[in-house]
Amino acid sequence: MHGVLQRLSRKIYVGDAHLCIARLLVKSLVEAPVEDKRITLKEAVKLVPDGAHLFWGGFGFQRPPMAFAHELVRQNKRGLTIYTCGSEMDMDILCGAKVVSRLELAFFAIEGIGLVPNIQRRIREGAIEIEDYSNLAMALRFMGGALGVPFMPLKSMLGTDVLAKKRFRTKKAEVMDCPFSGEKVVLVPSVRPDFSIVHASRVDREGNVQIDGIKGEDVEGARAGKKVIVLAEEIVDTEFIRSQPDQTVIPNIYVTHVVECPWGSFPMMVYNYYDYDIEHVRMYYDQCKTEEGWQKYCNEYITGPKDHIEFLTKIGIERLMKFRAKKPFAY
Amino acid sequence: MTNKLADIDEFSTLELMAVCGSRAIKNCEVVFVGTGLPMIAALLAKRTHALGAKIVFEAGFIDSNARDVALSIADSRLGHRASAAIGLIETLGLMLQGGHVDVGFVGAAQIDMYGNLNTTYIGSFEKPTVRLPGSGGGNDIMSSARRTVVIMTHEKRKMVKKLDYLTSPGFLDGPEARQKAGLLGGGPTLVVTNLCQMDFEPRTKHIRLTTVHPRVSVQQVLENTEFDLVVPRDVPTTELPTCEELALLRAIDPNGIYIPRTK
Repeated sequence: MHGVLQRLSRKIYVGDAHLCIARLLVKSLVEAPVEDKRITLKEAVKLVPDGAHLFWGGFGFQRPPMAFAHELVRQNKRGLTIYTCGSEMDMDILCGAKVVSRLELAFFAIEGIGLVPNIQRRIREGAIEIEDYSNLAMALRFMGGALGVPFMPLKSMLGTDVLAKKRFRTKKAEVMDCPFSGEKVVLVPSVRPDFSIVHASRVDREGNVQIDGIKGEDVEGARAGKKVIVLAEEIVDTEFIRSQPDQTVIPNIYVTHVVECPWGSFPMMVYNYYDYDIEHVRMYYDQCKTEEGWQKYCNEYITGPKDHIEFLTKIGIERLMKFRAKKPFAY
Repeated sequence: MTNKLADIDEFSTLELMAVCGSRAIKNCEVVFVGTGLPMIAALLAKRTHALGAKIVFEAGFIDSNARDVALSIADSRLGHRASAAIGLIETLGLMLQGGHVDVGFVGAAQIDMYGNLNTTYIGSFEKPTVRLPGSGGGNDIMSSARRTVVIMTHEKRKMVKKLDYLTSPGFLDGPEARQKAGLLGGGPTLVVTNLCQMDFEPRTKHIRLTTVHPRVSVQQVLENTEFDLVVPRDVPTTELPTCEELALLRAIDPNGIYIPRTK
């Protein structure tokens, strides 16, 4: 960038004095003060008040904000409303610990293993309420929020109970005839949650975010939040981000806070970083079939450890190392 | 390898179901699948008659060539030799709703005679007994794919007169209903169960028995079905898997994650 501007300035300014001024200008551009958005996981979770509305990132087993979920439980948060496409063990933990009371989403299960065990109980107890949409509907609701428009049109949900039945929203979705073509479309309300929580591969301290592998709905979800907290496996120097700007999927303009959080999705996976620990997930699933089993898991792995590092210590370095991604594979 | 048909004792019902799914995929088609049996079926198709098929997963992996069996739809394993890793707006929005998906595969806990599916609640909406996963991308796929294939278990409580909850659209309540509702896709064309294969009678869109699996009688299918099933006079036995298909299937899922070895 320095060289390009210098060549450009030579073309524009002929005289030496002008060149000197141009050089100073370039210097100030290159060495602009860098905003440092780094905070700790504990500080980030403290920002979330009881009753807040959150976009929840990650998709399936990929990049769920697991460490953030654990810390929400440790800090005993209550009454959160969650917006996401699909969520698995992380959401089952949040519902098990009664952190979440309402969800607007399309899917939850522990894929390949079974239905979400804690969520089954919490629904029966009436502790959580779910407003169902389709995955595309949720992704578009985030895009609408990000775009600053009040709703988005789509061609799913038509003719089904996903459209007809609602749980707690006064208005969930509306069918209308397109004013231009007369074609039927479904309108879904945009979402602008208080916070967007995303776990990414890399971020610099200014908040430029890079995500390897699939992005799920995180690109739109991050932009929908009024405040955006990005957790990442690594905090890299901004020069690294700027050496491959085409890999940046969320520019720092959107990002409020940045948290360094290695192994932050464990026991789920992060593309290019680590695989899932399916034995742990299966153990969780089996244990959480009963309330006592869930309480035991929670004490042992979530509230027992005082922070994320103690959780990882509890898992053990030897076990963690088994799941490190092996090049050239991403898992 | 040989195209010789396998002996009736040489394969399990799940293997037969995967083969039925695989045969529903044509070469060079864009195939939208989840994990489980549909994924295995699509991978088998790519290794037999449909080398040019492109497998798309809603989480964002496109034209995946996974070498290991994935557990999650967002599993990093699906990124192996994929052509792109994008996201949901791309797969479900631009690709599917945009009209580029030839065939989508879905599973269900309940199906009715018009091929409508329930994957959300068992019991009443007000007081459900079981919360199932929900739509996920299922509603989107059944809404907008050019055609869809349903793979599920055949039991009386699953083949029902009335769904507990209508998650994803088949032909809704009759022949013209999809168009009237404004849906883009063509609807279901095949249902594969552990007992039989079914399609939809073109005029009425009623579900119709097409083949029964080996050692299964038409009577047995009817006993395990609550809704009225159209039964043609002639119901042949499902074509058996070939030895090649079975060998490939076992190589695709060597540890029996989705197709456990029974023998």
